[in-house]
Amino acid sequence: MQLHINSGDELPIYRQIMRQIIDAVAAGRISPGEQLPSHRDLAEQLVIAPLTVKKAYDELERQGLISTQRGRGTFVRERVPAIEPAERRERLRDAAQRLLSQAALSGVSFDEVLTLLAEIQKGIER
Amino acid sequence: MRVLEFNDVYRAYQRGSDVLRGITFSLEAGEVVGLLGKNGAGKTTLIRVAIGMIEAQKGSARVFGLDPRADALEVKRRVGYVSEDQVLPEFLSVGEVIRLHRGLFPTWDEGLERRLRERFALSPKSKIKTLSKGQARQVALLCAVAHRPELLLLDEPAGGLDPSARREFLETSIQLLNEAGTTILFSSHYMTDVERMASRIVMIHEGRLLLDNNLDDLREKFTLVMVPNTPEDRRARLRGAAGCLSVRDQGDALHAIFALEPERCRCVVEKDLGIQNAYCTPIALEDMFIELVGGRS
Repeated sequence: MQLHINSGDELPIYRQIMRQIIDAVAAGRISPGEQLPSHRDLAEQLVIAPLTVKKAYDELERQGLISTQRGRGTFVRERVPAIEPAERRERLRDAAQRLLSQAALSGVSFDEVLTLLAEIQKGIER
Repeated sequence: MRVLEFNDVYRAYQRGSDVLRGITFSLEAGEVVGLLGKNGAGKTTLIRVAIGMIEAQKGSARVFGLDPRADALEVKRRVGYVSEDQVLPEFLSVGEVIRLHRGLFPTWDEGLERRLRERFALSPKSKIKTLSKGQARQVALLCAVAHRPELLLLDEPAGGLDPSARREFLETSIQLLNEAGTTILFSSHYMTDVERMASRIVMIHEGRLLLDNNLDDLREKFTLVMVPNTPEDRRARLRGAAGCLSVRDQGDALHAIFALEPERCRCVVEKDLGIQNAYCTPIALEDMFIELVGGRS
C-alpha cells in the first residue's frame, strides 16, 4: 500500500492517512481482508509520529472500515457492517454538509456540485 | 505520570527584563510537544531551565517530580539533550566523545550506540573538528539518546542542517519514539518537522504562553477570518468576539484567528458580529504562527 504525506495539505496528517486508505479501498487497490501495516511500520515509512497512525486507524475502526485483532494486526473488513438505511444517510449528512459549506465558501453553485459528483462517480466506475 | 512540569517560571538575565514571564505547562509520559516561538521568545531559556543549566528565579521546573538543580545527577541521567549551539570538544575523536558519555550513564545501550554509529556512518577515529555540521549533530544525538532517556529535550536540533540531514534526524527520532515511547519537548522553526513529530503545540511569545493545543485541533478547530476593514473600523468588534485570539492589519483588510471551526466561525462573524463578506478558512501551522506572533511587536 502506497501512502504519501503532503506537508502543504489542508488536512491534518491523520486525516490524510484516513482519506488515502478509504480511497484505496474504494478503488480496489486494497482488498477486503487485506492486512494493513502496523502503527510502527507505517510511522517509520511515512516518518510521522506513531500516535498519528494510531489516531487514523482508531477513527477508521470506529467507522467500521478496518478492524484490529489483538496480536494479529489490523485488517480491512471483509464486509462493511450492515447499517440501517436511515443511518446510512445520516452518516453521509456530515460529509455532504461540509461539501456544500465548502462549495458555498468557494462560490460554487449547487448545480456545479452535482456535475462534479457525477464526474467523480464516472472516475470510480471506470 | 507527569514527566516535565513548568510552574509559573520566571527568568531574567538582566534585572528588570524578564525572558520568561510566568510559563506554566506540563508533559505527560509519551507526549511529543513542539515548542514554537520567534527568536528571542524564550524557548532556549525554558529548555535550559528544564535541564538545570539555569535556575528559575520565580516558580519552578520539575522533571520526574525532581528539582533539576537540586537533583541534578539523577535528572541528567534520565534526560537526553541536544541543542543547535552545542559544542563538542574539537580536539577529541568521535570515539573518545562517545566513550566519555558511555562512562557517565549507567543505562547506556551499546547496541543502540553501535546501530546509530553505523547508520550515521561515523568513524570513531575522526576528530570532531573535521566533521560537518550535520555529522557533529549526529554525534550529539547519539550521545543524547544512547542511554535511553525517558525525556528528550531538543533545542532547534535541526537548525542549520540540510534537508536530507534533517530528515535523517527525524527518522531516527521516530524510530526511537517507536521503540521506547520517549517523552519529547522540542523547539523548531521547521513547521513541517513539527507536524510530523508533535501531537501538541506550545507557542510562547515574549516569555509568555500564547497557545497550548492539540496539533490536529489547531488544523480543524481554528479558523482564519479575513474581512475588509471598511466602511467602518471593525477591529474592536472582532477583538471582543468570543473565541477570537488575535486581530491584525493586513493591508486594507483585517486578519483574525478564532478558536472555532470554519463553518461555526462564519456563523458567528456574520450573525453575531453582523460582518458580511468574511472569508473563513482553516489554517496551516506556519500561517497560524505568522498570524499569532508575526504581527506583534
